[in-house]
Amino acid sequence: MFAYYLQLALRALRRSPLLTALMVLALAVGIGASMTMLTVLHVLSGDPLPGRSAHLYYPQVDPRASGDAAADPRPPSLLTYIDAMNLMREGRTTRAAVMYAGSEVLRPIGPGRSPQSVNSRYTSGSFFSMFAVPFRYGAPWSGSDDAGGAHVAVISRALNQSLFGGVDSVGRSIVYGGHSFRIVGVLAHWRPIPRFYDLDSSRFGDVEKVFIPFNTARALDFSVAGSTNCYGKPGSSLDTSNCGYIQMWVQLDTARAAVAYRRFLVNYSEQQYAAGRFSRKPNVRLDDLMRWLAVNHAVPDDVRMQAWLALGFLLVCVVNTVGLMLAKFLRRSGEIGVRRALGASRHAVFAQLLTEAGMIGAAGALIGLTLTMLGLWLVRQQPSGYAQLARMQPSMLVATLAVAIGASLLAGILPAWRACLVAPAMQIKAQ
Amino acid sequence: MISLRPILSSLRRHKIAALLIILETALAFAIVSNALYMVVGRLERVRMPSGIDERSLVMLRLDTSDRSQGTVASGLADVAALRAIPGVESATVANSMPLSGMQWGLSFSTRPMDSIGSGVGAPLYLGGGHLLRTLGVHVLAGSEFAPSAYADFRRKGFMDQLMTVHQALITKALAERLWPHGRAVGKEMYMGKTRVQVVGVVSNIIRPYVSADAHDPANYFAAIYPRRLGPDLGAFYVLRCKPADRSRILEAARAKLQALHPTETVGLHETFTRMRRHYFANDRSMAWLLVGTMLALLGVTAVGIVGLASFWVQQRTRQIGVRRALGACRADIRRYFQAENFLLATTGILIGCAAAIVINVWLMAHYSVPRLPVIYLPVGALLLVGIGQIAVLGPAIRAARVPPIRAMRAA
Amino acid sequence: MLEMRNLSKIYRTTTVETHALRDFSLSVREGEFVAVTGPSGSGKTTFLTIAGLLEDFTSGEYVLDGVNVHGMNDDQRSRLRNEKIGFVFQAFNLIPDLNVLDNVEVPLHYRRGIHGAERRRRAIDALERVGLSARMRHYPAELSGGQQQRVAIARALAGSPRLLLADEPTGNLDTAMARGVMELIEQIHREGATIIMVTHDPELAARSERNVHIVDGMATGIVEEPRFRSTLQERTASDMPLAGR
Repeated sequence: MFAYYLQLALRALRRSPLLTALMVLALAVGIGASMTMLTVLHVLSGDPLPGRSAHLYYPQVDPRASGDAAADPRPPSLLTYIDAMNLMREGRTTRAAVMYAGSEVLRPIGPGRSPQSVNSRYTSGSFFSMFAVPFRYGAPWSGSDDAGGAHVAVISRALNQSLFGGVDSVGRSIVYGGHSFRIVGVLAHWRPIPRFYDLDSSRFGDVEKVFIPFNTARALDFSVAGSTNCYGKPGSSLDTSNCGYIQMWVQLDTARAAVAYRRFLVNYSEQQYAAGRFSRKPNVRLDDLMRWLAVNHAVPDDVRMQAWLALGFLLVCVVNTVGLMLAKFLRRSGEIGVRRALGASRHAVFAQLLTEAGMIGAAGALIGLTLTMLGLWLVRQQPSGYAQLARMQPSMLVATLAVAIGASLLAGILPAWRACLVAPAMQIKAQ
Repeated sequence: MISLRPILSSLRRHKIAALLIILETALAFAIVSNALYMVVGRLERVRMPSGIDERSLVMLRLDTSDRSQGTVASGLADVAALRAIPGVESATVANSMPLSGMQWGLSFSTRPMDSIGSGVGAPLYLGGGHLLRTLGVHVLAGSEFAPSAYADFRRKGFMDQLMTVHQALITKALAERLWPHGRAVGKEMYMGKTRVQVVGVVSNIIRPYVSADAHDPANYFAAIYPRRLGPDLGAFYVLRCKPADRSRILEAARAKLQALHPTETVGLHETFTRMRRHYFANDRSMAWLLVGTMLALLGVTAVGIVGLASFWVQQRTRQIGVRRALGACRADIRRYFQAENFLLATTGILIGCAAAIVINVWLMAHYSVPRLPVIYLPVGALLLVGIGQIAVLGPAIRAARVPPIRAMRAA
Repeated sequence: MLEMRNLSKIYRTTTVETHALRDFSLSVREGEFVAVTGPSGSGKTTFLTIAGLLEDFTSGEYVLDGVNVHGMNDDQRSRLRNEKIGFVFQAFNLIPDLNVLDNVEVPLHYRRGIHGAERRRRAIDALERVGLSARMRHYPAELSGGQQQRVAIARALAGSPRLLLADEPTGNLDTAMARGVMELIEQIHREGATIIMVTHDPELAARSERNVHIVDGMATGIVEEPRFRSTLQERTASDMPLAGR
């Protein structure tokens, strides 16, 4: 029976090729536009550390002066040096890492090359284990390297490729910011999307090329490449001033540990308040990773707006398809009347028309898929940081086909229902 | 000639199709008027005046690893050498540039504050005595700094150094924000508890970062301190020259800097125009994307109208023949379908107005989108009525071609 | 009133030339009731469409109420049709989407200078003449065939035409309804209307004053029926429109 419907549908679609083409095209454009934007949204709003993200938290305390009533009620996103050090020392966590972004010049290796400024991260050795960063060669530096401010470095795969041609460079040295560092590890490919651990700088960019122990960077006074926000009375240096520039991540494996840590943050804030260092009552946050991304609009607002726009567009396309199908089906009232008179049940007519709708959907899906590919290509030509990440994914491919056929069937229901109400007798009389 | 009542009563008999056109128009209108507004918002950003002589400026940056090469003295020597390049009218080292994304932010208030973070946030520009002339910024009131006011700004302890500055120039926008009803020159403002006297008001300079709303006056807040600085701390060498000379001078300056600092790298070297284009690239591409979507949306809407109108024409062929037989001329028939579409489009637009406002309120709540100005509603309405009329023209003309003799034949 | 001289109408396709009317001449006087009969395919429908200005003719001359129709463009013909001719179709041809009153108003919408209230008044007058003013708000589908045809006649009368063209006006009706419609047409004629009725039914044709028989596109035996001669002569001098009081 279904084969017969298919055959009828094909014949019907061929009879009015222009209308059919318009319907397929309108549907395909809607599918193409919406799936392009939804794919981008999907790529950007994924979990950068599946399986781990639920146990990673971003602690915040509030060292700001009390005066600013108009200010954001949330505590600042960056910790001051004093708070970061206190939290690292006193907090009970599975792992914890402090970090800040920097950029210094790397001396070239070999003649004929010029020095280059490279993005770096100054952090704790637990950064790598906490975020499960894969290593190609070597390993993270040790806790004693952290404590002792050792001149050691981990470099990215890309830097290892450009400096050493990709061979195992563990044990060799680089001169960074005017100082020599011994390489202890080389990363394998690692590109979390977004670059969750520091949303202050390029959110969808590559990871840094050089990683150096936090204490080492402070001892050498490597400057901050991200934001520095100062509050209250300034001190004599960055680390004694009330200036936030440090990100901190902690790993808390159980809900109870998280509750305890939050209580610790409150207690800590109370102590600081009592000591006169904080001028506000405890104002803390402890967001887990996904929450942290949401709060900070890690997915660009533009992308979300585009996705909404695309959905609205798809809605218009579906309404449009409903209208065109209605026109198409009702035009055939005569034929339907004859079929009804020849014994086709209302149900059969409905099924036949819905088959036709489904075929339009299938054609729309195929063209829409092509348009989605084209759309993603167009997105990749855009200047935004995330543009390069816009690629089709298998799940979205299936979703595209499903959305297209689903939308066309949905669009077909009303017209098909309306058309199968055509009375058999009336049409015979008019013939 | 055309009276709407018979059209209305005819539409009542074709509710579903009429409702579909109304719904489609309403949705398209709601989306298009909001999208149009966003496009205009983006383009306004792209076209924001910077307040400086954009087409006369080139910038370079030295990536210093050797700190002895980033000092103020080294910077002054470099600037002297750069000024010697034929065609360079003026040069300086500046900590930050408009639309560069590199911003030193301070907060100012008209009374002493407990925290240096309290007050009106404004970016800080430092760049020695040649900064204003190089950028093309004018003093509107008061005066420039006295030459004796300038001092060196070193890398070490810069928070402390900022506390020791007690004179500033501020932009007109910042002056109007701090003293809405009076002269700013000679008044005192405070960074935390540090007193800073306003010695002059200068023409507006756009910030290194601008907000989403092009009309936000804060985009032109800025303060200038009388400090010279060296090329470290990410500072720019800024050169002023004739627009036509830019690429030549950029190349000459790059070569000269490289020669002066053979162990360092000249990281950035580009014209201000290019940097500006890069800064607004996202806005431009978003505007194009919105325009593209809008056009596609209008196209799809037009297709829908053509489809349903053609169907109606076909369905009413006999009726058109009868009207023709009863004396309607071709233009009457054409106008009937045009009026019908106008009626549907107008209804759709009225419903769409409500939807447009709801969408706008929602966007305002979730994204940094300002309130939709009322003017976008009639503009969007005109657009959709226009699209409807264009779309219906073909079917309407086809309807007008139905010969009166069709009244005689069986349907 | 209506003067056709040596009219011919040729339908051409690439292979065939069909002479639907050849050398056709007919003269209808003011106030006359003429029946046009003939077997199917004889050309009587073609005659009607040309007389009603629905179609152009190939050669000859046609003067309607003193206006030479030849060479008129579509708009001029539409206006002439609207002002001078009232149509009654076999299939009624009411517009199903409009109610009875709106249907009767249709031709008045296409007449310049008639506005809302006047249009309404004339439509109601016409409906009263056919005895259907009580059904103004009904839709055609809610009426019987006979009632629909009466509405169609009211529509034809509403514009006060000089000539009423009826095409098998009872063809789609059962006998009882047909009789009613025919009596209405006769009554309208008695009130002074010029009527041309196309029919294949000799019994209907017999109720006219004059019968024109068409065979193969040519008018043959013209049968004069003197039944209403006296009424006619009283009215010839006057130039009174049909829907006059």
